[in-house]
Amino acid sequence: MPLVGNIRDFGLSDFLYLVDRGYKTGCLHLSHADEMVSLYFDKGKLITATRKEDNVPVTDLLVRKGKLTPAQATQAARAHQVQNGVSLSQVLMNLDLIERDELQRVLQQHIEEAVYALFGWNEGEFRFEQGQRPEPTAPIMPIPLAVEHLIMEGVRRIDEWGRIKDRIPNTDMVVKFIEQPIERTRGINLAADEWRVFARINGKDTLAEIARKTGMSEFDVCRIVYGFLTAGLVDVIRKPTPVPMLATGRPLAEAPRVKKSLVTRIINRIRGM
Amino acid sequence: MQTVKMVISGAVNAGKTEFIRTISEIEVVSTERPATDDTRLIKKETTVAMDFGRIAIGDDLVLHLFGTPGQKRFDFMWEILSEGMLGLIILVDSTRPETFRETNRIIDFFMSYRETPYVVAANKQDRPNAWSPDELRLALRLPSHIKVLPCMATERESVKNVLLELLDVIMQRSED
Repeated sequence: MPLVGNIRDFGLSDFLYLVDRGYKTGCLHLSHADEMVSLYFDKGKLITATRKEDNVPVTDLLVRKGKLTPAQATQAARAHQVQNGVSLSQVLMNLDLIERDELQRVLQQHIEEAVYALFGWNEGEFRFEQGQRPEPTAPIMPIPLAVEHLIMEGVRRIDEWGRIKDRIPNTDMVVKFIEQPIERTRGINLAADEWRVFARINGKDTLAEIARKTGMSEFDVCRIVYGFLTAGLVDVIRKPTPVPMLATGRPLAEAPRVKKSLVTRIINRIRGM
Repeated sequence: MQTVKMVISGAVNAGKTEFIRTISEIEVVSTERPATDDTRLIKKETTVAMDFGRIAIGDDLVLHLFGTPGQKRFDFMWEILSEGMLGLIILVDSTRPETFRETNRIIDFFMSYRETPYVVAANKQDRPNAWSPDELRLALRLPSHIKVLPCMATERESVKNVLLELLDVIMQRSED
């Protein structure tokens, strides 16, 4: 069954996180007004993106960008027709019509721009079709893109509090690293301001305190942390408040302890219903 | 007579009333009224105070089930209901991603108040377009130790399974 919803309610960056952490393979179709964009993923990484108004074979794209001649494009298309299960991008490299690095650079730039434009959408229907693959002629990148990288760049383009406040309700929240942030940072390039915030994360300081210590605005700190959060690098938690203690030494807020025998009785009763 | 309490919470139309109706031994005490705000777009009637169900465990022990009202303006009820609860079930309508943020807000609320044993029940798994428990775990960003269970609140065995899984969590924290 496809996953359906609206990015107004479940943001694009949240969905990208789900695709990444779920190692999803399939296509995320997004539509808003007359626009329609399809993002294809393989095991959680982006391999291509197509727009309805610009859904052309990789060869046409490369001819348009001056990286291929029309004759080379025809040569590749003919060779591709007799090769089953191979992408047209792969055929171009096999025929030495374009260097792998150059193909990656051109396609990545093209695809990233399509994705970043999506972060400007305030709403749009989405539908994720599990297992759906792109056409073999689509502009498939030789090296799939890590989603964290896309999230961070997309979040840099957010200029409103509304979306950030969904995840960071106030600046009294404390930022802490998740268990293995180093592993997650490999696909991400941080800008200077992002490093300044990153270096201040200690699991104790609130967002307001980080803003004060870095001299940055609270909005900028929250926007940057929102990016870290969405990319799965950090978590934000409420600042722990001192818990009143009972005379027994047990914290007042702790759930009541029950005896195993009582729980066993309830289990047996429900099993028998 | 000793009574213990479990709380069933979740966003509007997550299936809390149905969940309690399916397992309660008594006719569920609900205070449902015609929906008057945005809720009416989702359901004609909604729980405005709470649902109450009951399961007799023995002559000397009763389990009470309380369903919280889903709307934000009844937040104050959550704190009252959570006082002294044995465990918490968070119900999610797996077909409506627009309720996931609200679900997170509810979890945050209860967890900020006290460290309560809880499980998440991914309700309406029989519907087309239902997000799977694994997908819900990612969407709600729940840690791996929190159980996310498939659920159909209209089916007794499914509801029993959710309760038993919560009791398993409670058992791990209980004392000899």
